[in-house]
Amino acid sequence: MEEMEVIFRIKRFDGEREYWSNFVIPAKKGMTVLEGLFYVKENYDSSLAFRASCRMGICGSCAIKINGKPKLACETQILHLNSNKIKVEPLDNFKVIKDLITEFEGFFVKHSRVKPYLIRKEDNYAEPVELIQKPSQLSKYYDYSLCIKCGACYSVCPASSSRDDYLGPAAMASAYRFIADSRDEGYKERMEIVCGDCGVWRCHFAGECSEVCPKGVEPAKAIQKLRFKSALYMLRKLFMG
Amino acid sequence: MRIRSDIVIVGAGLAGLRAAISAAEVSNQLSIAIISKTYPIRCHSVCAEGGTAAVLSEEDSFDLHAWDTVKGSDFLADQPAVELFVREMPNEILRLDNWGCPWSRTDDGRIAQRPFGGHSFNRTVFAADRTGFHEVHTLYERMLMYPNITRFEEYFVTNLAIEDNEVKGLTAIELKTGELVLFEAKAVILATGGAGRLFGFTTYSHQVTGDGMAIAFRAGVPLKDMEFFQFHPTGLIPSGILMTEACRGEGGYLINRNEERFMKNYAPERMELAPRDVVARSMWREIIEGRGFDSPYGPYIALDLTHLGEDKIDERLPLIRSASIKFAGVDPVEEPIPVRPVAHYTMGGVHTNMNCETNIRGLYAAGEVACVSIHGANRLGSNSTAECLVFGRIAGEKAAEYALKKNYYPSTDFLKEEESKINSLLKESGDESPYQIKSELNKTMDENLWIFRNEEGMMDALRKINELKERYANISITDKSRRFNTDLTFAIEVGFMLDLAEVVVLGALKRKESRGAHFRTDYPERDDENWLKHTLAHYTKDGIEFSYIPVEITKWEPVERKY
Amino acid sequence: MWLKWFDFRKKSLFHISYSLHRLTGVVLAVYLVMHLSYLTSLRLGRGVYEYFISTTLTPAFLGFDILLVLAGVYHGVNGIRLILHEFGIAYELRRPILYLCYVVVLVVWLYASYVLYSYVMGV
Repeated sequence: MEEMEVIFRIKRFDGEREYWSNFVIPAKKGMTVLEGLFYVKENYDSSLAFRASCRMGICGSCAIKINGKPKLACETQILHLNSNKIKVEPLDNFKVIKDLITEFEGFFVKHSRVKPYLIRKEDNYAEPVELIQKPSQLSKYYDYSLCIKCGACYSVCPASSSRDDYLGPAAMASAYRFIADSRDEGYKERMEIVCGDCGVWRCHFAGECSEVCPKGVEPAKAIQKLRFKSALYMLRKLFMG
Repeated sequence: MRIRSDIVIVGAGLAGLRAAISAAEVSNQLSIAIISKTYPIRCHSVCAEGGTAAVLSEEDSFDLHAWDTVKGSDFLADQPAVELFVREMPNEILRLDNWGCPWSRTDDGRIAQRPFGGHSFNRTVFAADRTGFHEVHTLYERMLMYPNITRFEEYFVTNLAIEDNEVKGLTAIELKTGELVLFEAKAVILATGGAGRLFGFTTYSHQVTGDGMAIAFRAGVPLKDMEFFQFHPTGLIPSGILMTEACRGEGGYLINRNEERFMKNYAPERMELAPRDVVARSMWREIIEGRGFDSPYGPYIALDLTHLGEDKIDERLPLIRSASIKFAGVDPVEEPIPVRPVAHYTMGGVHTNMNCETNIRGLYAAGEVACVSIHGANRLGSNSTAECLVFGRIAGEKAAEYALKKNYYPSTDFLKEEESKINSLLKESGDESPYQIKSELNKTMDENLWIFRNEEGMMDALRKINELKERYANISITDKSRRFNTDLTFAIEVGFMLDLAEVVVLGALKRKESRGAHFRTDYPERDDENWLKHTLAHYTKDGIEFSYIPVEITKWEPVERKY
Repeated sequence: MWLKWFDFRKKSLFHISYSLHRLTGVVLAVYLVMHLSYLTSLRLGRGVYEYFISTTLTPAFLGFDILLVLAGVYHGVNGIRLILHEFGIAYELRRPILYLCYVVVLVVWLYASYVLYSYVMGV
């Protein structure tokens, strides 16, 4: 199929009321949902607000709910959706600021709470020394470092939707990425945060986060591995002080 | 609302983040504000793919890296700056390693390096083919450690407040609420990136509209060498998504419709790994002379990676493979990728010296927005991420030292003036669409300021740009609300781009020679006698004035540039 | 808000399994309370207990009982799957294990229902 007319049904919000807008888009082969949104902005209603930057699936700005599932708008081709009605909504579990733009401040605050930086006892800023890391050590955590912080995992996590203070899959995957990094020396500090009230134990393995992650980071896997480590850590703390 | 800090950094890409960390390391008593129009990890720097060049091996040398850079720049680079740059690079790589960057490794655990265009030694350090992505995340995460750095995310900077040749601060729109905020600061660092969205077929993100360059220009800072725009040889069609130079570095070939590796006719020694301007010109020549492939998206050249094997591609070029499949429907393991030269880097920018200082006291610039110049007329691959790290660090340090010495906070009434300007822009109800203006600007830049330029085409472009500037005075902004008004910010960005386009066209018209990325079919030779100098464009009420300054040459005299 | 965990529209089988695990958990918890309250009737004498039990071992309650068995078997088998994965074991095989889990639940439930049916109906 080379071309088809589709209807974009977009959920709008102007700060006071919620409403829906419909637009007809002439979708060609290869045209992405993001291009469709720009088409709307340039030809129909330039007040449509959405986030977009790289258009190649690496910046994480354009994660929205398309026909009920969270996806990156720039990577989703309209004709691949096999439907002539495309429902476009902002991500769940986030407060909506305007149209498709949601409040991401809290998401980044949670990310920063797991201390997502390499912790080393000696911080040699002036004369740094190369740290050796074999390819097999790199592959242990590399996949988890691919997270683009798009928020798709957070939007489908039932734990995140029932409790506002759960750190969320992205933050937990980030925590595991550093714990599994052979160069990191901050195991204890991060474990304290991760074993705490809002950490791993809030996850009940709905597994939806791994299903929707556009970069294949598998946060569910990271959290389960983290959980095993947490269990050992807590037992050790209990019996050995 | 007014916010007061010691240092304000505009832009949170590689250079901005590095400057923030560098300033925080100088003193933890300094209050540092970093402003960006998107969240820091959504900056354009995350799109950088290939790598960062540094001299790490015993067999390599600083002189060789500097020579490669100077020759690559077609001898327009300022050599003392280049020599400083290459000497600072190795430590930056090691610092990133210590901060957690997942550099790709050799079998014995050392940081790996790959070949890259224009470099005589395999010195490009890389993290798979997502180097920029990993560097940005590493710097962002490191920045979280410093309590004296405050982030102002999704703030759109509209103007600098400058009085008596001293910077007082800047104004920015807080996008969430639409409120105009005045930031008062002792020192300001511009790190807003390039201006690639002037062109239609470009690798740049949607947000790279040259904001910092245009604001500085209007505020009295000269722009240097703006006519030099790099065209990267391999941009995926039709989106323009970058297919990194590392594809050729890992052994990929460029093939025309006669199934030949045509680079042997243009750069017999380096072949596909000649500098980007040479390769782009060769590819474009092949296309004009009818040896490109045809497609519904225009002619293209084939980037052939099929002989590398699935394992190597998955290990070294995973992002390329997934981008090619997702956006062009082509699996590089099976078929060659359709590519065409694409607008990729702005060599020109805000005129700074080696210490990232501009002519205005307290105003610094680092990264792609600045022109030191170390890239001259053409940048070598993997030197830009390197530049952001080195000069980001220097700008942060110098700004911090300046702020520590300054014992007063500048204050200004600039806010009221700027408020009324924004309000009147919002009230405008003309009949021109800013989206239409941008699309016509892109079209004329793509046609006339591309790889092969001539007098006639550029005069056409100048006429068109002047016409668009007149029409811009009559634009209408549909969204009249204050809350996250992307319509307003887009209109302001178009205004910035029109200013910059005029500087580019005039500079290109004046430079009657071909050097590096600026190639004129009517003046196809390099003219060192008359044109071994930098173009400076100054903003005046009566139009743009041009002056010229000499290139700093210390070690290497210009020679014929053959590859 | 608290019903969000049960929203399985457009969600994967993993999420649906999680929602069902919660639902069956609640059902079993309620059943546990009922069961314990029946058991405590023992202190009123064996006769009272046997009377209570005989009211539930009738064809009228069979439907509820079979559903209860389903809830119990599902929660148990899925629970084992969760214990396995939640300690980081065999995550890569999660899809085959999920399907296997449903097959086991079906087989065990059908057999248990058959036994229950035979007993109650006196076959």
